[in-house]
Amino acid sequence: MSTERTTEYLVPDWVRVRRESFGLLFYDTRSTRLTFVRSGDSLAPPPFTGPRRSLRVNPVDEGRRPAVSRLLQSLVAKGLIVAAEPQ
Amino acid sequence: MPPSLSSTRLRAPVNVTWEITEACNLRCTHCLSAELRTAGRGELDLDQCRALIDELARMEVFQVNFGGGEPFLRDDFLDILRYAHSRGITNCVSTNGTLLDDALVDELLRVAPVYLQVSLDGACADTNDAIRGRGTFARILAGIELLSERGYPDFSLNLVVTRLNVAEIADFDRLARRYGAKTRLSRFRPSGAGCSTWEDYRLTRDQLVELSAFLGDHPEILTGDSFFALTPDSRRALGLNMCGAAKMTCAVAPDGRVYPCAFLCHPDFLAGNVTAEPFAAIFRSSPVLERFRELEVDTCRTCDRFSVCHGGCPAVACFLTESLDRPDPECLRAVLPVTEAVPVREAIPAKEVA
Repeated sequence: MSTERTTEYLVPDWVRVRRESFGLLFYDTRSTRLTFVRSGDSLAPPPFTGPRRSLRVNPVDEGRRPAVSRLLQSLVAKGLIVAAEPQ
Repeated sequence: MPPSLSSTRLRAPVNVTWEITEACNLRCTHCLSAELRTAGRGELDLDQCRALIDELARMEVFQVNFGGGEPFLRDDFLDILRYAHSRGITNCVSTNGTLLDDALVDELLRVAPVYLQVSLDGACADTNDAIRGRGTFARILAGIELLSERGYPDFSLNLVVTRLNVAEIADFDRLARRYGAKTRLSRFRPSGAGCSTWEDYRLTRDQLVELSAFLGDHPEILTGDSFFALTPDSRRALGLNMCGAAKMTCAVAPDGRVYPCAFLCHPDFLAGNVTAEPFAAIFRSSPVLERFRELEVDTCRTCDRFSVCHGGCPAVACFLTESLDRPDPECLRAVLPVTEAVPVREAIPAKEVA
């Protein structure tokens, strides 16, 4: 199953994210909490500015898809991204 | 091992504390920036501020924490806020609240979100006014009431915890809730005006222990990681496990000088000036900042709390012991014997992908 390919993942207004050497760094501006995510090249952050801030899920090998799916679920559970139907 | 601030170097600060002006209409007895008022070095002009904001945006610095002085005393401050917002930077403003009026709140709501931290140093006038000046409690509270009435969505009341007000923090928290604000507690450090009031304001051993327990019982209270050296196990996942100076944050003075953090705006820790070289180059290459990134408190390595504080706040250690690599004198382990302490564990990282 690869729900990450059909679901759009939006970064809420109060969450910021950028690429770092280990993957992605999330910052929740409301709680000032940092989350370090070793995502490799599987996820790409949205542009620093822009109205619709979507996290891009890059194509990965079949073997890595479950791990990417688990990571996305974890980020949703933490409130760092929101799953939305693609437009 | 999951990535963390202690195991990796970020390519840019997470946030920058920017003391945007020297000017202030109060004379608080613990002010960390008191020396700025007398320095008389001037301020970056609006074009210079915009240029710095452009660079912070290029680096993808998430947030700027504007302070001073009192930021709203600067005539072009709203222009600066609007510009930072337009470049994708989240804004937080530390204010004494005395200048808030309907027109200013209107403007702030238009630039939203602007996180406001309103400084108030007690739950009653006597306590606050002893620190921030006679009559200030009423003036600050008027600003807080205005924010509350206007339904301002993102504001907190910030109290610097001292011996004078530590007994009131529960009442302070209730006061903040009454106005729909979050409570934020900050650590009193011996820098700026705090150098001369340190002995009178510093917390006693018992107060430090009580504060640690209070923070453990109130995970919703914000601390800006002021108290990571005191943080009980129950708050471990809420914040940092080490000093973020030069790693995830640094400070810019009104004239563009760059320092590792707002509590270390001292000539010994001058990393550069944005009027002379790009901020990115200073952050990447300054020997002063590099020294902080490599700072290790060797004598703390055998402590069971090392993984959760890495020696504590170098600023406090430096101002009290004249050495950066000494243990934080107010570390929980320094004031609470191992036998009385709860065990600690590593901060919880995000789930990883292989």
